[in-house]
Amino acid sequence: MSAVATGASRELASCHLCYKLAPNSLSHCPRCGSALHLRKNDSIQRTLALLFTACLLYIPANLYPIMYTEQLGSTEASTILGGVVLLIELGSLPIAMVIFVFSVMVPSAKIMAIFYLVWTVERHSPLGPRQRSLMYRVTELIGKWSMVDVFVVAILVALVHLSGLLVIRPGIAALSFAGVVIVTMVAAESFDCRLIWDNMEETK
Amino acid sequence: MVDVSELTTGMSASCPRCGFMLTRKRRDAYRRIIAFASAGLIFLFVANNYPFLSFSSSGLESVMTLRQTPGALWANDMPEVSLLVAAFILVIPAAILLMMLALSFSLSQDRYHAWMTPVAKTIFLARNWSMVEVFIIGVIVSLVKIAAMATVEIGLAFWAYAAFTICFTLSVAHLDRYQCWQDIERLGVAR
Repeated sequence: MSAVATGASRELASCHLCYKLAPNSLSHCPRCGSALHLRKNDSIQRTLALLFTACLLYIPANLYPIMYTEQLGSTEASTILGGVVLLIELGSLPIAMVIFVFSVMVPSAKIMAIFYLVWTVERHSPLGPRQRSLMYRVTELIGKWSMVDVFVVAILVALVHLSGLLVIRPGIAALSFAGVVIVTMVAAESFDCRLIWDNMEETK
Repeated sequence: MVDVSELTTGMSASCPRCGFMLTRKRRDAYRRIIAFASAGLIFLFVANNYPFLSFSSSGLESVMTLRQTPGALWANDMPEVSLLVAAFILVIPAAILLMMLALSFSLSQDRYHAWMTPVAKTIFLARNWSMVEVFIIGVIVSLVKIAAMATVEIGLAFWAYAAFTICFTLSVAHLDRYQCWQDIERLGVAR
């Protein structure tokens, strides 16, 4: 399909870190010293393992409270979804949307997108490789934005501490949710997006 | 494989298959990084030494500094989240700016040092893990969340951190991975 010669066809590997093209027979990049591979090692297995970890962490992240509000002696626990509902009730729909997009949609969409990319590496896909590459770039780009909710909890806990009157404390879901974000970021990083193109060249 | 040896200032090269930009040569890239990184570090210093937000309700007031964001989590028995937050919003971004400043300074002077390779490696590995812009959105969301409960005032440190975010983003955007490594290699060989 393409007239461009690939490095792989000439026994050249591109360094993941500094982009240097070096003979595939070398074990380390001659320029920066990073380990050199034609494709990232066990990319599919590592990505899948990390995705399953993220799915497991996602359960406590949604079931347990992310923060507690202690107001005049009574304590109220709120989960991620509960926080969104509360914001809608308070009338701040735009902020409710921001939290919903970053904390609910982005993490689940990201997990599904990477699953889809891994799944289609060895199978036929209705989406072309160019679209899937774009999908990968977007997944990689939006990854860290899910951290917003964890930062919100951190800020509220630091800011709101009027003893006896109003205190906000962090909940265990903050830890599991931070875990989901970090693990999915590592999963996206361990997926080698060139695998999308390898498959295409073999079938043609 | 794409031959980018003919690339001149102001031009960029994209991948013929997926369309992603591979590299771009910008005018005065290293000098711009020096400017943005030093400005960013000054803003970060200000952001760390002035009140970030203050909150008052029924005559009581509490003031928050940037450092208290991870600090309060630590005090609430969440050391893991506390360390992660500190790393993502303060430690990693500050370290990246310091390293970029040193690297760009030497590269703009055409000087080679043995530390350049490990420093450049660290910059490119750590770059994904800075979350300064995400934190700014977090602050805005928090403001709206508590505006209903009490009066919130924005401190000088907030504006300094916002300025730091802009400087950080601009300096990272000017450090082209491909060009940076080409220059390190060229200086290393020439020596």
